[in-house]
This record gives sequence, C-alpha cells and structure tokens, in this order.
Amino acid sequence: MKTRHLKRRFLSRLSLKESWVIFFILGIIMMNYPFLHIFNKNIIIHGIPLLLIYIIGGWAVSILVIFLFTKSIRSGSDEQSGPENQ
Amino acid sequence: MIGLGTLITTVALYVILHFLVATYAYDRYRKGRSVVSNSFVYSLSITVYCTSWTYYGSVGRAATSGLDFITIYLGPSLTAFAWWFILRKIVRIAKDNNITSIADFLSSRYGKSQFLGALITVIAVLGIVPYIALQLKAVSTTFSLICSHPAFHIPPNLRDSFIINNSGLLFSIFISSFGIFFGARTLATTVRHEGLVAAIAFESIVKLLAFLGVGVYVTYFHFNGFGDIFSQMAAKEPRLFDHLTTLAGEGETSYIDWASTLFLAMGSVMLLPRQFQIMVIENSDESHIKEAMWRFPAYLFAINLFVIPLAFAGILLSGSNKGADFFVLTIPMNANHPWLALLAFLGGFSAAAGMVIAESVATSTMVLNHLLMPMVLKFKVTESYSRLLLFLKRISIFAIVFLGFAYYNIIGSTYSLVNIGLISFSAAAQLAPALIGALYWKRGNLIGAVAGIFFGFVIWIYTLLIPSFILSGWWESDLLEKGLFGIELLKPTELFGLTGLGLWSNALFWSMLFNVGSYLLFSIVLEQNETEREQSTKFVDPYNLDGHQDAWETKRLSKPVTIMEFVNLMENFIGETHAHAAISEYLGEHEIDEKGMVSEFELPSLKRFVEKTLAGSVGSAAAKAIVESYLSDIGSQMESFYDVFRSVRSSLEESREALYVRLKSSEIMNKTQDLKLIINELLELLMTEFKFDLIVVRLLDQQGRLAVCAAHDSSGSARPHPDIMPDEDSYIAELLASRRPQFANDTRNLKRFPHSAATPLEQYLAFAHIPIAGEREPSGILSVFSTSIVGLFTEELLNLLSSLAGQLAVAVELVDEREAREMEKAQKDAALLKNAAVVHEMEIAKQIQLSLLPESPPELPGIQTAFLSVAADHVGGDYYDFFVRDGRIVDAVIADVSGHNVGAALIMVETRSVLRAQVNVSSSPGRILASLNNLLFSDLTRAELFITMFYIKYDTLTQWLSYSSAGHNQPLLYRSSDGTCQYLDAEGLIIGVKEDVFFEEKSILLDPGDILLLYTDGLTETANEEGEMYGLERLSSLLGEIHGEPLQNMIDLIYRDMIGFAGNFNLADDVSIVAIRVERSDQDQQD
Repeated sequence: MKTRHLKRRFLSRLSLKESWVIFFILGIIMMNYPFLHIFNKNIIIHGIPLLLIYIIGGWAVSILVIFLFTKSIRSGSDEQSGPENQ
Repeated sequence: MIGLGTLITTVALYVILHFLVATYAYDRYRKGRSVVSNSFVYSLSITVYCTSWTYYGSVGRAATSGLDFITIYLGPSLTAFAWWFILRKIVRIAKDNNITSIADFLSSRYGKSQFLGALITVIAVLGIVPYIALQLKAVSTTFSLICSHPAFHIPPNLRDSFIINNSGLLFSIFISSFGIFFGARTLATTVRHEGLVAAIAFESIVKLLAFLGVGVYVTYFHFNGFGDIFSQMAAKEPRLFDHLTTLAGEGETSYIDWASTLFLAMGSVMLLPRQFQIMVIENSDESHIKEAMWRFPAYLFAINLFVIPLAFAGILLSGSNKGADFFVLTIPMNANHPWLALLAFLGGFSAAAGMVIAESVATSTMVLNHLLMPMVLKFKVTESYSRLLLFLKRISIFAIVFLGFAYYNIIGSTYSLVNIGLISFSAAAQLAPALIGALYWKRGNLIGAVAGIFFGFVIWIYTLLIPSFILSGWWESDLLEKGLFGIELLKPTELFGLTGLGLWSNALFWSMLFNVGSYLLFSIVLEQNETEREQSTKFVDPYNLDGHQDAWETKRLSKPVTIMEFVNLMENFIGETHAHAAISEYLGEHEIDEKGMVSEFELPSLKRFVEKTLAGSVGSAAAKAIVESYLSDIGSQMESFYDVFRSVRSSLEESREALYVRLKSSEIMNKTQDLKLIINELLELLMTEFKFDLIVVRLLDQQGRLAVCAAHDSSGSARPHPDIMPDEDSYIAELLASRRPQFANDTRNLKRFPHSAATPLEQYLAFAHIPIAGEREPSGILSVFSTSIVGLFTEELLNLLSSLAGQLAVAVELVDEREAREMEKAQKDAALLKNAAVVHEMEIAKQIQLSLLPESPPELPGIQTAFLSVAADHVGGDYYDFFVRDGRIVDAVIADVSGHNVGAALIMVETRSVLRAQVNVSSSPGRILASLNNLLFSDLTRAELFITMFYIKYDTLTQWLSYSSAGHNQPLLYRSSDGTCQYLDAEGLIIGVKEDVFFEEKSILLDPGDILLLYTDGLTETANEEGEMYGLERLSSLLGEIHGEPLQNMIDLIYRDMIGFAGNFNLADDVSIVAIRVERSDQDQQD
C-alpha cells in the first residue's frame, strides 16, 4: 500500500517538466569531464575496466530513467504537459 | 560450403525481400490497415541512425582509439530525454504546416525563405554525399572481402567477374530504384512512405540480429565470455589494453574531443536529413514518440554491447588492430563460419541500404523543393507541373545516390570510414542553433539564421572538408602545415592559433562560435519582416495557434481571385484529385457567400490554405513563390489594407481610434433626440476621422424610397444626391436583402459595373454601403466613399461603421417610436373630447327626457298618487304619465320602449306626443292603445323597436277602474277588503308588432284603501348574483306588509327592497313605479 503510494508520488514528480530538464542536464554532465575523470583509471573489476563499467552502467541507468519518464507520461500527465510544456 | 552462386542468390533474395516487405506495407497502408503506424516500427525506423559506418566502424574505432566510439550512441540516448518536448513540438509544427524536410522546416520558420532552403540543401548535399559514398564503399569493400576470402569457395578466375568488381554500382542501382519506387510514388511528401519505412524497420531488425549473432558467437563460443576476452587482452597487449580502456592519456582521445563528438551525435540524431525524414515526416502519431524515447536508446545499447569484445577478439586473433574496420566480417570468416559471415555481411548491407534509401529520399525532396523548384518556376512552364516535378524528384534520388557513387570512386577509397561520418555530423550540427532558435526564440530571424548557417558552413568547409580532401591524398597541398597564404594563424586544423584541440573539436568550436554568434547578433540587431513574425509565432507556440491570430485580417488581395482559379493553380502542381479534395476540406470549414465566393476577408486565409497545401508537395518557400507569382500574373497581389486606425493594434483589442469614434458617437447619440442633428454630427465625426470624401445617409420613407437625409461632401460641390428606389442600385438591393454591408475596396477591379446614382463608381475608388438596421428591418443606408484610398475597408472598419449605423438605427427607431406615440396620444385625446361632447349631449337629452315625465303627481280628491323612476343609462325608454279629465277622472299610463338608447328615448318622446293627442280624441283605454298602435306602427317597425304599455282610467266618483294592456307586466292591485294582491291583465299585443290590433278593456270597482301598483319590468326582472329574479311574489308580499305606509314612502321602500335583493346599485334596466291609492271619498266619509 505504502510503496504504491510512493511509486505514484515518484511518477508524478517525474512528469514535471523540470525533472526532465534536470535529468537531461545531469546525463550530459555525468557523461563528460570531470565525472569521467573519476572513473578513468586502470582498475579492472571482474575482468572489466572500470570506465567501461561506468559508461555502460550509466547508459543503462539513463535508459531506465527515460523508461520511467515515459511511464509517468502514461500515468495521466499527458494532457497537462501538452500545451504548457513550452 | 558457399560458392559464388549461393552468395549471389542469397543477396539477390535479400534484395527481393526488401521489395516484398515494402510492397506489403504499402498495400496495407492503402487499405487503411497500416502495419507501420505503431511505436514499435517507428522506434525501429529511427535506428536508421545506425549505418554501416557504425556497424563496421564502431569495432574499428574501438580497436584503434578506444571507448570514444560510444559517444556516437550515447549522444542520441541523451537527446532522447528531450524528445517528448522537442521532437513532439517539431512533429506538431511539421504536421500543421505541411513541412516536407528539415530545409523546409527552417526556411518556413524563417519567413519561407527560398534562399535559406537552398543554402541548407547545399549543405545537406555536400555533407551527405560523402556519407553515402561511405555506405557504398562499405558494401562494395565487404563484398569483395568475402568473395576473396578462402572461407567462400570462389575460384580465382571468377574473382574478377563483373558482379564482384561492380558491386557498388549494382548496390547503387538497387538503392536508387527502391527509393524511387517507394519514396517518390507521388509528389505529395506529406503522404507518408510506409513501404519505405517498413523496409527500413526490417533492415534494422536484420542488422541488430546479425551484429548480436556475431557478437554472441565470438564472445561465448570463440571465447569464454566478456571476462575471458578482457583478461586475455590485458595479459597479451597490456599497453594497448590501457590505451583502449581509458581516456585522455598521451595520444588518446581527450575529454574535449569526447565532449565534441558527444555533442555532434546529440545533434545529428535530430538534424541529419534522413533522421528528420523518419522521425518527423514519417511520424504517424505523436504518441509513438513516447515509446521510441526508450526503445531507440535501448536498441543502441544492445547493438553496442559486443563492440569492445569484438574489437579485442579481433586484436587477439589477428595480432594487431589492422583491418579492425572489418573485424565483424573477418572473425567469422577466419573461423571458417561462412554463413555467419554472410549474415554479418547482410547486416552491414542492411545498415547501408537503410541509410542510403532514407537519405536520398529526404535529400531529393530538399533538392527538388529548394534548388530545382525555383528554376522550374522561372521557366514558367504553363503545362501541368505535377508530372514534371515527380520526374525531377525521381531524377534527384538517382542523382544523389550516384553522386555518392562518384565521390566514392574518386576520393572515398582513400580515406578512413570513421572520419567521413563525423564530417557529415559536423555539417548537420550547423543547423542546430537555427533549429533550437526556431522552436524557442521568437526573435530569431532570417538574416541571423542565414548568417549563422553560412558562416558555420564556411568554417566547416575550411576546417573539415578541405583537410579531409588533403588527408585522403586526393588533393596535394601544404595548406595543413602552412595555413592559407602561408599565414600560420589560418591553419585549418589549428585555426586562429588554437592548438591542442583535435580536428573535430577545433572545427566544432569555431564553426559553432561563428554560427551561434552571427545568429544571435543579427537576430538581435535586425527586425523580422511580417512573414517571419507570422511564422515564428506558429513555430514557437504551436499548441495555441488560435489565441495568437490577429483579430482582423490586415492583408487583402488587390484583385479578387475566385475559388476556381485557386483550384486550377493547385491542379497544376498536385493533380486534380488532390486539389479537389483539398478545396472541399477547406470549404467545409468556411463560409461561402451567395455567389459561391469567399468573402474578401476570407481570401487571404484561402490563399494561405492554398500555399500550405502546395507546401506539402513543393515546400513552403516554393509554395509561397508559386502563389505569389500566380497572383502577380493576374494582376493581383497581397497588400495591406489602408491603415485607417494608424495606431498599432495588439491582437484582439480594438485600436484606440476605433474606441474614440465609438465613444464620440455614443456621446452624440445621447446628447440630443433631434435626428437631423445626430446624423449631421455623426457624419462630421466620420469625415474628420476616416478621410471619407463623401458620406450620404438615406432613410426609407413610407413609400419605400430611400430619401437623402444628410450628405457630407468634402469637395464642397453642390452636386445633388438623389433619392432613389432600392431596386435602382444592385448593391443596395443586395444590401436590403442580405442586411450586410456592400463594399468595394478597389472599384477598378470590379467585374460587374453597376454604376448608378447611389453608387457613382466613376468618381470613387472605394465605397461601402452600410445598412442602418437595428433589430428590425433596415431603416436606411449609410454610404461612404473615397476618391483616392484603395483598400480602405478592413473588416474592422466595416464592423465599426456597422456598429455606428446600428446605433443610428436605434436613434431612428426611437424618433419613429416617439412620433408614433405622439400621434396616438393626439388621436386618443380627440376621441376623448368627442366622447365628452357626446356624454354632454346625452346629459342634455336625459334632462329633456326627465322633464317630459310628470314633475309631480296629479292632485285629485279620492286618490293619492306617487311615482319613482330610475334610469339605468343616461337616457332610458321608460315612460309614465297622468291625464286628468273633468276634475274627477284620471288616466295613467306606464310604458317601456325596448332598448335603453337614444332611439328608445326618441320613440318615448314620440309616444308621449302621440298619446297626449289621442287622450283628447278618445276616452277608452282599449281604443287609445289601438289608435296609438296604428299611429306608431310604421315608426316602430323602421326603428325596429317595440313598446309595452299599460293604460288605466279611473273615475274617482264611481270608483270604477278600466284598463287595457299592450303586453305590459301585470300591475298589482292590493285589495284592502281582504288584504290580498291581485294581478290585472288584459289581452293585447305589444305595440309595433302589427297593425289593427284589438286591445281588450276590463273594468273593476275599487274600494277605498286599495292600492294599484304599476311598474316596468326593471323592477321584477332585476336579478341577484345567483340569477334569481326579484319577481312578482316578493313584490306582492312586500306590498301586503307595507300597504299602510304613506304612498311615496311605500314605493321608496319597494325600490330599496329591490336594490337590497340585487346586492348592487348598477341597474341592468330602467325601473319605474307608479302607485295609486284609493282614498275614502267624501261621500264614503259622509256615508
């Protein structure tokens, strides 16, 4: 019961235009210097280089976030976000 | 084992499969059961982004420069975040404006500029042709690669065959014919190409499966998973491993280059012509974007999972990263898996085919609309354009593919695959500032966009294209080392002394700096023209178009164009069927007047519609040029209305001047009720405010003429303005029928020439007749004329004039009403006066009538008499009288003339005269009545009246009473001897019914104390509220009770009793009572 409530709250926040912009900018920042520099090391985890894990992992997360965003559109914010989203 | 035959058959079957898939989808589309219109196919088709460059090149890049290949895919994934806002907005705008390509999108946004469209097209072609060459190269190189590999058993003597040497040519032929077949079926680009999209989506599935197939095989069958490959690589080539898995080391990709390519990829996914074509033009539903936002990045993610394993595996297996571009193909071949290699080849083939098809169709649309169309229009081909244009479009597709083929043959074979792709991306990136501005910055103007794109483009040529020619060895030059004219600062790859940046970052930085800088600068410094303003509103605010439309049309066509003329124009370009379908759609939403025309104020909107429809086929800039050149051919053009209101209007509000005029006019209306004064002041106001040269007000008079009420003529000429009949002037006749203003903004262009006295066309350039009409029928016409100003009558001005005329109509109606009211009052007064005179006369008549009745009862010994008469109306028909003879005989008569009017009164008077004469001639009651009947008969018949009468004769000496009745009520006789009442009756007809009637005469001896009561029917027939009559019984019993009263008292009591019974004083009939009491005579007393 409580988790469902939390989920709805989360999705409704995602439907805000501001959230989109924040995640968009966050994505660009995370995939650039200096963030990349943190992971740009000769470290290998389970045989796979750290930077590759970071990029592939970050990429997967970003796709998941977009997926959640599209879910929030489906959960009824379509009409509100239509005309005013400019 | 695969031989040449199997190989060629497989490829040929695959090509045929393309056509089958596309035909099937097209067929379904035509039947209205689309297989393409869903978000799944939409997402797949967008992955046309993954070309053979990424298919083969990613592995090559991963094997040589490392992780930076991933930016090409990571960028679009990030862009997908913004699709719900940016892409959806673009799609909405494109659908609203019938946009055909990205060049059309931008040229339409920036004032439908032909030049901007042409500039973008040139950039697109220059950026795209090498990219297409790259695809052709990939296909032909890989094909010859597998043909010469021992895994495919192709005899050496066949390796030189035509097919193998010319695979690039054959591929080009296949691609261009496919593009022509499914991308240029009709001219209308707004019609989606579902066959084409289906083929692209199909190819996307094949390339993903092929790549994953090779990846899974190499990773899990050749090696033991990711970890195995990585650890082997780390062990065997530790330095290369470090180099490839980290960034920004010595000789490695810097963070700046990483950011640059990330940015280029982010832009390209939206800006490349094929991406725009697939994502925007081929979008069938905005909601598909929602799913594509995560499916597209997920696809990119999947196709990239095995890139690094494949690169490392290739290095491990071949010992170096040489030929890494084709590891996808060579690894399975070297492992002797020809079928897997063939699958990998088909994946690369698909990637190349999809890209070339989409790109050539998209670019050919741009070439046709923005480069060829202006030329075609210059030649003014009068025949139907549509066939020619379709032919040109097909030629363009063919030309673009073969330009790519030529490029590949001349210089493409010498330069690495990767770089050509990024060169294209950099060219496309030049459109980014103008596109973002187009969507979000209203001020962004044409000059800014052109300057930005142009300077960006020039820098792109100088810093990327030219160096790529030099690097490919096709052009020998020391430009790269020494700079232009030997100036070091102008070295293309280190422009203005900016060292330390890679090729891409250098080019991107400088081109973007100049691009954005000049876009912003010119947009801020210079103003937009009108078309630009109109378009920028449409693009920046596509979601509420209605709110931003001007309240009034500010443009007019100087010479009206008929609907049919527009239809013919459209037929030339889009064919008859489409043209007719389009116009009926338009007319369904708009009003047409009685002559089958749209109103003058609708014409600009019809013109815009025609433009938009044409834009769907030829692009907005060409459409604008077509319509405008057509208009100028027939001598018409769009021009502004004369701005009579002078002040700038802000959309929906009325201008200050209009409000002032309204205020003034209502002041005038309220100031006075004098119509002449109102009209004169109003005309004065209009003359000074609107520069009319003549204003005439005509009002309808009772004969239906339009009589001139007032006229103001600025020329001061004394020319008379005639009264007219409405049917003398066709404009006015139509005005009265339609109750709408009739006007012409330019009388020189009038097709009919109904010159008349009321519309003197030869003197005036513009005129308007406005009906003076409130809620009723028009009561007149306000006519205004101008000798010099064309285009004076805007919808706003006409509305204002109509509203003033409406106020005037109210004033006219008020005056009419007031006059009517005064007339009615006068008539009423006169009637009242007349009535009063009649009443007065009647009063006199009543007095006279009353004076004819006895003033007092006769004084005679032996009897007492008393009487009472109350008339229901002013004059009545009751009559009674007494005649005394010889001092002892008294005659009494009571009569009632039917009716209570003047006629009855006159007859009563006549009866009295005749009776008085008869009394002296005869002495018997019967005979008196008989002669009276004969004398009055003719008069009564003529007047249609009757008389009832009772006549008595009493001798006071003998106490004998004789009597006769002419149909009168029976009098009462109270006998004092026994205290009873008896009724006296005698036979006799009512007087006036017929001549020579016999009246019975009876006699009776009275006793002293007997009372004889004569009365008219008003007494006994008075009814109470229940309708019950007073009646004889009541009367006789009352008489029995009060017989002892003094005689006058007695009849007063009787009258009061009767009134009390009736309950009110309003008598329905006259009431007359005569009473006679027999006294004891002297003899009796003596006795």
